[in-house]
Amino acid sequence: MAKPKIASDWMAGCAGCHMSLLDIDERIIKIAELADIRATPITDLKEPDASGVDVGILEGGVNNTSNEEVAHRMRARCKILVALGDCAVFGGVPAMRNFFSIEESLRRAYIETESTDAEGKIPDDPELCKPTRVRAVQDVVPVDIFLPGCPPSADAIYYVLSELAQGRIPVLKDENLHWH
Amino acid sequence: MVHITIDGKTIEVPEGTTVLRAAEKAGVFIPTLCDHPHLTPYGGCRLCLVEVEGMRGLQPSCTLPAANNMVVRTDSEKLRASRKFVLTMLFSERNHFCPYCVVTGGDCELQNAAYGEGMTHWPLQPNWQPYTVDATHPYFVLDHNRCILCRRCVRACGELVGNFTLGFEERGAQSVLVADLGTPLGESTCISCGTCVQVCPTGALIDRVSAYRGRDTQVNHNKTICVGCSVGCGIDVLTRDNQIVRIESDWDAPVNHGVICKLGRFVPLFEEKERINTPLVKKDGKLKAATWDEAISTIVSHLKPLVNKKSDGVAAMVSTRMPAETLYLFKEIFANGFKSDMVTSSEEGIPSAAPAALADELGKPFEGKLSALENADCVVIMGADLINKHEVAGFFVKRILPKGTKLIVLDVEDNPIADLADMVIKPTKGNESDLVKGLLAAVAKVGNAKATVKIQPPSLEKVESTTGVKSEQLIECAKMILESEQPVFIYGKGLTAQGSAEAVKPLLDLARLCGVISDNYNGLINVKGKANSLAAAQYKLDQPFALNGHQAAYIVLGDDDPSQRLIKSLEKAPFLAVQASYASQLTAMADVVLPVQTWAEQEGHYLSLEGYLQTAKKSVDAPEEIKSNNEVLKEIASKLGIKANGEAWQKQLTARTCPVSIIEI
Repeated sequence: MAKPKIASDWMAGCAGCHMSLLDIDERIIKIAELADIRATPITDLKEPDASGVDVGILEGGVNNTSNEEVAHRMRARCKILVALGDCAVFGGVPAMRNFFSIEESLRRAYIETESTDAEGKIPDDPELCKPTRVRAVQDVVPVDIFLPGCPPSADAIYYVLSELAQGRIPVLKDENLHWH
Repeated sequence: MVHITIDGKTIEVPEGTTVLRAAEKAGVFIPTLCDHPHLTPYGGCRLCLVEVEGMRGLQPSCTLPAANNMVVRTDSEKLRASRKFVLTMLFSERNHFCPYCVVTGGDCELQNAAYGEGMTHWPLQPNWQPYTVDATHPYFVLDHNRCILCRRCVRACGELVGNFTLGFEERGAQSVLVADLGTPLGESTCISCGTCVQVCPTGALIDRVSAYRGRDTQVNHNKTICVGCSVGCGIDVLTRDNQIVRIESDWDAPVNHGVICKLGRFVPLFEEKERINTPLVKKDGKLKAATWDEAISTIVSHLKPLVNKKSDGVAAMVSTRMPAETLYLFKEIFANGFKSDMVTSSEEGIPSAAPAALADELGKPFEGKLSALENADCVVIMGADLINKHEVAGFFVKRILPKGTKLIVLDVEDNPIADLADMVIKPTKGNESDLVKGLLAAVAKVGNAKATVKIQPPSLEKVESTTGVKSEQLIECAKMILESEQPVFIYGKGLTAQGSAEAVKPLLDLARLCGVISDNYNGLINVKGKANSLAAAQYKLDQPFALNGHQAAYIVLGDDDPSQRLIKSLEKAPFLAVQASYASQLTAMADVVLPVQTWAEQEGHYLSLEGYLQTAKKSVDAPEEIKSNNEVLKEIASKLGIKANGEAWQKQLTARTCPVSIIEI
C-alpha cells in the first residue's frame, strides 16, 4: 500500500497550530516515514495536489472569501478533513470580531489603531478578497476530525497524525483533548 | 433507610437522599452543572439524568429522592447521547469561547463536562448575539456570554448569604441574571461577599484579581482562617510564586461552612496601605531607615530604666488581631517583666470584659454557639451590628428569615439590619441594658416564663421613663420571644461596653426566662470584636488604655489599623515604639518602628467568638528583613533580661473561666 498523502493549509489563524505541529520534534521523521507529506504552508509546495490527498488539515477559521476558497479546495481534494486548533474547530480568537460589524472591525483595524496616522484607509482594491463573519471550518465544509486546542499539544497532533497515517481514525480523550 | 442499586452497587441511604447523593456515596460519578452540594437541588441543567427501572423517560438524579429497591443506571448509550445533547444546547445558547476565558483548562465545570463526554467540538453554532458584560463591580465581573442559567449564584446569594440580590428576569432563552431589579452589580444591594463567584461553574462570574493569574493546577492551596473579626471563618488562600492570587471560603470549615464576607475574600487583595520594609528610628525629628540592631538597641536603652516601674514605666498595648502566642508573650513581658500597670489590648475590653467578668463570677461558661441559629425561630439582636461587622454571623441570621424566623432589634443606634426586622426597639434615652431590664419586667408581666429565675425587675413605667420605650411595645416584644421555641439572643458592644458583669447579668436572667438558655440548649451569643478579642480577655488584657504617668509606650499593632483614640492618647508619649506592618499616623509619630509580618505571613492561634481555638497558618513568606511579632518581642525581652517565652499561652488561655466553652479544632 502506498503511503497516505497528507497536506495542510491555513486560514484565519495565527500559525501557532503549525508551530505546535513542528513541536513534535524528531517524531516528524516518523510521520514522514509513515506518510507522504505534500503541500503545507511551511514547505515549498503550497497547494494540495489536484489529484487529491488522503488527509487534509486546515488551521484557522474562515473569515473571508479567500479562506472560503482554501476550505473548499482542501475539502474537494482530500478524503479525510482535519480541523486543527480552536480557530478551525470553534472560530477561536478571530471570532471575537463577530460581536462587532465588519465595518466596525475594519475601521478599528485600519483607521483607529494607535499606530495609524491620519492617512489610515480601509483597503478596497477589487482584487482583494471580501471579509466575512468568522466561521468554524465545519460551518463552511464538512469536517471529519476535530482536533481542538489553542494550540493543540504536539502530543495530540502526533497522535492524530500517526493514527491517520496508519489508516486508523483517532479518538481524542484525556490529555489529548483540550480546548485551550 | 432505603436500599438503592446504582450501576449494580446496592447501598443503604437515609430516606430523602437524592439519587445523586446516593451515587456519590456508592462511588459512582454522575456529571452535574447546576448542582452544588451546599445548595438546594434545582434540576435545571439536565446533565445528571439517569435511567430508573420502571420509570418512563430519563430522570434528573439531583432532584429525585432515592426510593427503596430503586434500580438506577448512570451510563448507557442513551444517557451518553442525552448528556452530549444537553451540553450541545448549552454551548449553543450563549458564547462560550474557551481560548480566551479565565477559567479554561480545568477550572470550568462546563468545559470539564464536555471533556468527560469526549466532545471535540460544538455540533451547533454558538449564539453569536453579543451579551452584555457587567464590569461595574469593584471586585468581580459578570459576563452574560458565559452564563448557563444554572442559578447557583442566585441560590447562594439567597440560601447561604440571605442577601437575595441576584435573581432572574424573563423566561426561557431570554432568561438573564439580574441584580435587584436590573441594577448594575456595582450599584446594587450586593454586599460583595463573592459567594456567587465561588459557586459559578463557568467563567460568567470571575474575580478581577485572580483573572489569568493561574489555574487551579498552577496555584497552591493554603487552608487557614480569616482574622478579619471574631467569627473565625475558614478560608483557602490560593497562592502562586509567593503572591496571594485569590481567597476562597472553605466549605469544610466548622464555623462558616463555606461562606465568607468581603473582608475575608476581597479586601486583603486590595490592600493599599504602604508596607514598612525596614526598621525605622527617629533621628533629628525624622524617621530614618535603620538596621535591626540599631532599632532594637534604641528601644532597649529607653526601656531598660523603666523595668519594675509600675505606673511611671511603659504603657503597652497589643492589637487583638495578633495570635494568642503574641498576646500572651506580650503580657509576660510587660505585665510580668516590666510590672507595668498599663498592659492592655487595642479593644480595651469593650467587647469582652463584661462577659469575662460574669464568667468569673459564675465559674462556668454561659454562652452558646452560632449553630443555634440554624433552627432559631426568633432572633433578638441587642447592640450588635451584624451588617458591617461580623458579617458572616449576619448571613446566618438573614438566611433563616425567609422560613418565618422573627427578628427583633434592640439598639440605641440605627442598626442597619433593622430593615429586615419584625420589631425594632430604639430607645430615645438610656441604653440596651435598660431595655433588657425592661424586657425582664415585661416577661414578668406576661407570665409564661420558661424557667423560674429570681429577678427583681423595675416597673414597666420606670423603664418607659428611663428609655422612652412604651410598655406595650416591650410586652409585645416579650410575647414574641416567649412564643418562640428556639430563641437566640445575639448581643454586642451595646451591652458589653458598659464594662461590668452587672450589665450582662440581667441578660442572662432574661435568656433563662425566655428559654434561650436551658439544660440542653444555649442560644446566647456575644459577637465580641476582632479576631482574638476573646483571647485578649482571657489574658485579662482588657482595661481602658491611658498613658497616665508612663515614660514610654510600646504598641504591638501588627497589620492592624490604629484607632484615632489611641493616636490621640499617645501624642504626649515621651518615647513611642511600634511594631507595625504598614505605615500609619501612629508609625509616623513613633520614635522607633519595627516592621513585622502580616496575617498571611505569620502563624498562630485564634479564639473565635464561639470559643473555637483555631490555627491561622502561613500562606506566603514575608519580605526579607521582616520579622514575626513574636520574634521581635522575644528579642527585646532577651536584651532587657526579661524572662519570657510565651510557652504557657495555651495553659493561660483556660486559666480563667471563659464565657463560652473552648474547643480546640
